[in-house]
This record gives sequence, C-alpha cells and structure tokens, in this order.
Amino acid sequence: MPGRLILRRPSPTTVSFTVSNASRHTSTPAKILFYLQILLRALVFFCVVFFNIARLRHSFFNQDGSLVHWSTIWSSPLGSIVSRIVDSYSAWVVVILSAIVIYGVFRKGYTEESLLVIRGLGIQTSTSSLTYLSKASTRFIPTTQIQDIVIHEAFKGFEVRFYLAIIVDGESEVVVVFPKLLPNRAILEEVWRGSRRCLYDSKS
Amino acid sequence: MPYNIAMVSDFFFPQPGGIESHIYQLSTKLIDRGHKVIIITHAYKGRTGVRYLTNGLKVYHVPFLVIYRESTMPTVFSFFPIFRNIVIREQIQIVHGHASLSSFCHEAILHARTMGLRTVFTDHSLFGFADASSILTNKLLKFTLSDVDHVICVSHTCKENTVLRASLDPLMVSVIPNAVVAENFQPLEQGGPPSSIGPNDIITIVVISRLFYNKGTDLLIATIPRILSSHPNVRFIIAGSGPKAIDLEQMLERNVLQDKVEMLGPVRHEEVRDVMVRGHIYLHPSLTEAFGTVLVEAASCGLYVVCTRVGGIPEVLPQHMTTFAKPEEDDLVMATSKAIAALRSNKVRTDRFHDQVKMMYSWTDVAQRTERVYKGIQGDISPEEFYGYYPGQGWEASGDRVRSFALIDRLKRYYGCGVWAGKLFCLCVVIDVLIYVFLEMWFPRVNIDIARSWPKKLKQKEVADSTGNGPDRVSSTT
Repeated sequence: MPGRLILRRPSPTTVSFTVSNASRHTSTPAKILFYLQILLRALVFFCVVFFNIARLRHSFFNQDGSLVHWSTIWSSPLGSIVSRIVDSYSAWVVVILSAIVIYGVFRKGYTEESLLVIRGLGIQTSTSSLTYLSKASTRFIPTTQIQDIVIHEAFKGFEVRFYLAIIVDGESEVVVVFPKLLPNRAILEEVWRGSRRCLYDSKS
Repeated sequence: MPYNIAMVSDFFFPQPGGIESHIYQLSTKLIDRGHKVIIITHAYKGRTGVRYLTNGLKVYHVPFLVIYRESTMPTVFSFFPIFRNIVIREQIQIVHGHASLSSFCHEAILHARTMGLRTVFTDHSLFGFADASSILTNKLLKFTLSDVDHVICVSHTCKENTVLRASLDPLMVSVIPNAVVAENFQPLEQGGPPSSIGPNDIITIVVISRLFYNKGTDLLIATIPRILSSHPNVRFIIAGSGPKAIDLEQMLERNVLQDKVEMLGPVRHEEVRDVMVRGHIYLHPSLTEAFGTVLVEAASCGLYVVCTRVGGIPEVLPQHMTTFAKPEEDDLVMATSKAIAALRSNKVRTDRFHDQVKMMYSWTDVAQRTERVYKGIQGDISPEEFYGYYPGQGWEASGDRVRSFALIDRLKRYYGCGVWAGKLFCLCVVIDVLIYVFLEMWFPRVNIDIARSWPKKLKQKEVADSTGNGPDRVSSTT
C-alpha cells in the first residue's frame, strides 16, 4: 500500500511530516465500514471475554453476585451452548486462541511514521506501534548531533529503494526515517527539502 | 543521441585487474561523451550497496553469493528480479556485459533480451577447445551469445577465438583494443640528449606478471640462468606473486643468482610505473594472452619489449618496439640476447616510445568506437553501413544480424545450439519469459521509482539558464 504524506506546520519553526498508509475514510460507505469495523472489534472482544468467563465458571463465577446472576446465565440457552463449547476444549487451547483473537482485535490495520523537525532543537522520528495498546517508538536527535540529512538508495529484498537517512555524529550507522513504509522518491524529496529548510534556512 | 548504458560484470573495483580498469575507463569516457552509464557488479567485502564514483558513475554492488575467484554462483534466474528493478529505475537501453567467466554478465544478457533491450558483450580472454572446463565454458558462451546483439573483442586473435567458440557471424564481432592512460606511464624525465648504453653498462630486465602457469613463469625460470650466464652485465627485477613464486625462488637459490635477480613481490597497479622505469627491457613470457595491456604500459614507460608470439600479442605493438620469440626456452633466450645487443648498439630509440604509444592508444578512441557499436545496434546507423554491404554475395547484409525480440525468433536461435543443449536453452528462455511476465504482475512497473540521473556537465551558455536541480546529496537548497 503506498503511503501518503501529511504535512503539518504548527509554527514557523516546526514542521511535522507524517507518512501513513491508512485509508482516509472520505466517502460515506468507507466511513460506515470504518464504524462497523470498530463495532465488530468490540463485539469480538466481549465474546472472547465471555468465553473465558464461561471456562472459569466453576472456580470463580458460580455464585450469584449483587450485579450479575451467574447461575441464571449458565442455565440460559446461550450460556449452556457456550459452556458446552468451552468445556470440550482444554484450558490451554482456550487461552491460546483467545490470545490470538485479542491480538487481532487490537492490531492496527495501518502503519504511520512521522518526522518532527524543530529548529534549534532537533529532529524526532517515530514509528507507530503494531497494536493500539502499545506506544509508538520514537527517537530524538538534537541538532548538535545531526551531521546531515540525505536521500540514498539501498537494496531491500528484490528491489532497490530510496530512503531518507539522518547521519548522526559519533554513530557508525545512519538513522533511517520512515523505515517501514519507505515511501517513494517524490515524497522523500519533499520531506528532505522541507526538513532542511526548517533546520538550516534562516529566512523562513 | 545519448544512451543509458548498464555495464554488467562480476569483476570491478576494489578488485584490481585489467577488466576492472577497462570497464571503469570506458565508462568514464562514455560519460564524457554525454551518455549515462551505470555499473552492476556483486558486493565485495566492505563495498556494498549503491555507490557513486568520480564523474557520477553509479555502481550497484548487488548482494550475491561469491563462489570462486570473485565469480558469483551461476543461478540463471535468481538475478532477474533485482536486475529488472535496476534496469527500469535507471531507464537502461543497452546492457553491456564484460568477461566470459562472469556469470553475472551472461545472466544479465539473457534477461535483458527478455526485457527487450539491446545487448553487447565484450570478451577479454582466450580459451582453449580441448579440456573439459573449456568445453563447458564454451557451451555457456554459446548460450549467451546466440542472442546477443553485438560482440566486442580486444584483439583480432580474440575475435577469431570467440567466433569459433560461440559459432558467431564474424561481422557481428568488432575488435576494439584496450588502451592505457599514457599519463600514468611516463618514462623517467631526462634532460638533454638520450643517454647511450655502453658495452659494459648494466642492462636491467623487468618482468611484471602474476606468477601463474599461463603467464609463462616456467619459461621464465628456465631462461633466467641461461641469459645471466651469457650476459654478465644483466640484472632482473621480477614483480608479482602467485603459486609459481616458490619455484622461481628455488631456481635462484640453486643457481645462486640472488644478487642479480631482485624479487619485489606483489606491486599495486599505481606502483607498476615506478618499477618499470628502473629497467631497459620488459620481458613477457606469457603462454596465452588476449591483449596484453602490460606491454603497452611497458612501451609507454620507454622499455624495449621482448615477448612471446602468442594470442593477441603480435597485434599490440609495432615491430620496432618489440622482439618476438616462440614460446620456448631456446628462442626466448635468443630473442632476449638480440634485444640486449640492439640496446647496446643504441639502435632502438626507446625515448620516442612514449609519444608513439600515446598516439596509438587512448580511451577516448575506445569510447568513440564503442559508441559506434551502440549506434549500430540501436539502429541509429543503418545495418548496411554498420555491418558493411556486400551485394551479390548471396546473403543479405541486414539478414539475421538485426536480432528481433520476438520469442519465436529467439527460440530458433537457441535451438540451433546443439542436440540436447538447444532444447535445454529453449527451456531456460521460456522460463525466463514466464518469470518476466510474473514479475510484471507482482512488482508492477508503475511502482518502481525512476532514479535521478547525475547532472550532465553543462556548456557555458546552458549554465546561465539552468535552474540547478542537482543530485540529492550534493545540491544546495535554494
């Protein structure tokens, strides 16, 4: 999926470039699909929780609490079906299956990578995390350590790809910006120009 | 019109050697003539990725498995995806392969034909016909060259050899010799008239060669004691390394010649000139040689050349710079004695050699002639003019020489390679085409970024109105 560039300029000395391959949800069907997807994820999540509770109903969830009457739930048609399904599998199978499903529920369907340039301070690169639960991984490089920002080419798989890299003082390897998406040359050149202008050009 | 050319070979810098410097010099001179040239080679230790050399010469060091003497594993198809990617992003029109022992080059030519590009192959070496490895190499060469657009050889002997090995139409083979950068091989500066050599002055004989069997080291070992016993005022300087070095040293110890023969060991290419100018005669006992660039270098340094009459050597230098010998002990001793006598009688004007060599060999000339080959295969020169037109000889001048890209024509050419080989080659080509179709679907062309070309050197008036869109690394922001 080719990425697209979102440019934000909150102040004259700050620019943020974000490359993302998320879909934009502009049309009505796309929006409806997006909300349906959220609903579906929530539904699946509660299903998994319910299945796990059903599995543990003998040890924990057998007394009637003040809020939920567990015994009535387990004797209801839905509850008895779920109990039967869960009991036919061992505890490990249930745990592993629910872990996989939970991961799928919280998994992001897109990657977002950004470069934040602040004049006189430095550059921060960030790559979005795989799931909604963890934070994006970021790296800050102060201006004094930045030697140069360059676009170069490298072999990746069966291809030669362009990449934007920051040469950092005292490090043997460069820091690759947008390492996962590796956007095309047009985007890279725009980011390269913009970030250099923001970092080094005093006029703007 | 300028072309986009890709030079493909296993052999390139940082490894030193004749093919390597040939590719480099030719590429730089072609760039000077306005073409765009890139080089595709495999990754060397400490030399990987995409690099730029002087003058914007771009080198792709493709990561690949190296098996023997810096040659890559012949895998036939595995190079195709990355090769296609490079060709598309650099908008290559002509693929120029070098060296018949490089599997990279053969594969590139096959894939380039599949992709509908014109191809040229340069052969740098001579091969035999009899032993098993030659037969195998020749079959492989025949496979590649059945469908190549044009072949360049470095000497007429090499051309004859290649035409026979690959069953080519001789008109499809051009001869373009190597050249030397004469400025790097200046003789010693001498003020005043050239000094003459007296009858008792020391004459130094230089030998610079890798000490291998095919370079004639055995011959050298046999001749040195005989020359030294008949000419007391002769010294030897031997530079180079190899498996025969030990034999050479044993001979020196057996005959106690250490004070007359100096062994320098391996020398770097840029130091060759400094070794050469210490001598008067250059001795080259090689048993096989396609061209022998080192002879030109020696003559350029003002050395009189004694060499064996093998391979392409007789074509390299004019008569007055050389003494030829048969590749045998007696004749080589005799030729060397003759050369020593000629120098003692001051009949040879070695001081003029440098300027003469400079007139004969230049890379600019090589680039010009190579460019004509490119024009010929691209159709910018008519086939009649390019191949020569011979009316009434029973065959058409254009004939089959302009190689069409139609698959059926290509298969016909490959099928003629042999009873079993023909069928095998056809199978390879069909698979290659299928891989190409698959790649076009899986990695579509539109998704491949076109790389920026290195900015051409602009003429003065163009500089005035240019907007200065330089390459990414160098240009300054405006």
